[in-house]
Amino acid sequence: MQDPTPATQTRSADLSQVQINEAPGELQNRCFWDGVRAGSPSLIGIAAWGLVTGIAMIKSGFTLTQALGMTFFVFAGSAQLAALPLIILSTPIWVIFLTGLMINLRFVILSVIIAPHFTHLKIWQKTLWGYMTGDVSMIYFMSRFPTEQAEPGKYEYMKGLFIANWAAWQIGSVAGIFLGNLIPQSWGVGFAGTLAILCVLLPMVLKRAALAGVIATGAVALATYHWPFKLGMLAAVIVGMLCSMAWEEWDDRHDPQSDAGSSNTFEGKS
Amino acid sequence: MSNTEIWIVIAELTLATLLTRATFWLVGHHITIPKRVNEALRYAPACALAAIIVPDLLITHDHIEVSLHNPQLVAGVIAGAFFLYRRSMLGTILLGMAVFTIVRIAS
Repeated sequence: MQDPTPATQTRSADLSQVQINEAPGELQNRCFWDGVRAGSPSLIGIAAWGLVTGIAMIKSGFTLTQALGMTFFVFAGSAQLAALPLIILSTPIWVIFLTGLMINLRFVILSVIIAPHFTHLKIWQKTLWGYMTGDVSMIYFMSRFPTEQAEPGKYEYMKGLFIANWAAWQIGSVAGIFLGNLIPQSWGVGFAGTLAILCVLLPMVLKRAALAGVIATGAVALATYHWPFKLGMLAAVIVGMLCSMAWEEWDDRHDPQSDAGSSNTFEGKS
Repeated sequence: MSNTEIWIVIAELTLATLLTRATFWLVGHHITIPKRVNEALRYAPACALAAIIVPDLLITHDHIEVSLHNPQLVAGVIAGAFFLYRRSMLGTILLGMAVFTIVRIAS
């Protein structure tokens, strides 16, 4: 880890600039800040999302302590937003628990991708960083480190991404909790979060197989919008993944060059 | 709900966060994922994001609305085109929120 071989240096564009005499501490520090910078374009959108969640908690009748407790312990925007109406209606506690689990199920899929990168960590570190995973920071990590191969600075880069994401979310949430009664719901501040995600998604769909999957996901998500526990979202993700796979297989069989061609377009445009 | 019940809900939702996000970090290396499943998972992030925002953009007042009266859709299309052209996330969010607000007030 601390002593990168020449092979890993040439393989990765960023780390090829590692100076031979750079101390491990400096490398780690630099990679941490690289992670923070990589995630920084999304932070305003994330904070706006937190703001909306904070406002929603206060408007549901939470006390300051309860709202702060929820944001700092639960740290899951969509699950929190889904739980609030259920709490108001005094829904049975186990139903709220199941709802929280279902809404977070997409993180099981995302953690299958990210966990193999960090099998060497201690149990408390795995628990902490698993807990800190967010949708958007996860995607930045994937695009920087597509393979599971050990690379110097990978752990620090992930920390930079996750901590910045966590901080932006919490700053937004706490602001929302304190401003809760001043910002009208009708302003639709939360739409900034949707726009931020749109910006993260668009570069990914320049590859045709991914576009096919995203269209399929969207169609299923709309068709299953009224399913309970947001289970339709999970169905949509699974159908979308299968469509992308099918498209890729079909492409490979009919035109073996096309995959290389479309990924070049992707690089060229970004 | 009483104060105690709300804290129980907070505790169980924290548990839900931990179970879904951290379980695979802790036990993942004991489970072998088939190669094809692993390939399909490469598309999971894009699909997960699409599953969140497609309903956000197209559903307004609890039904699918494809028209100039849907502020999210109009703002999303304009902001998306701007992003593909300029690649600036902050500019996209500001423009998108401005269009969203104008259409919302106008319709």
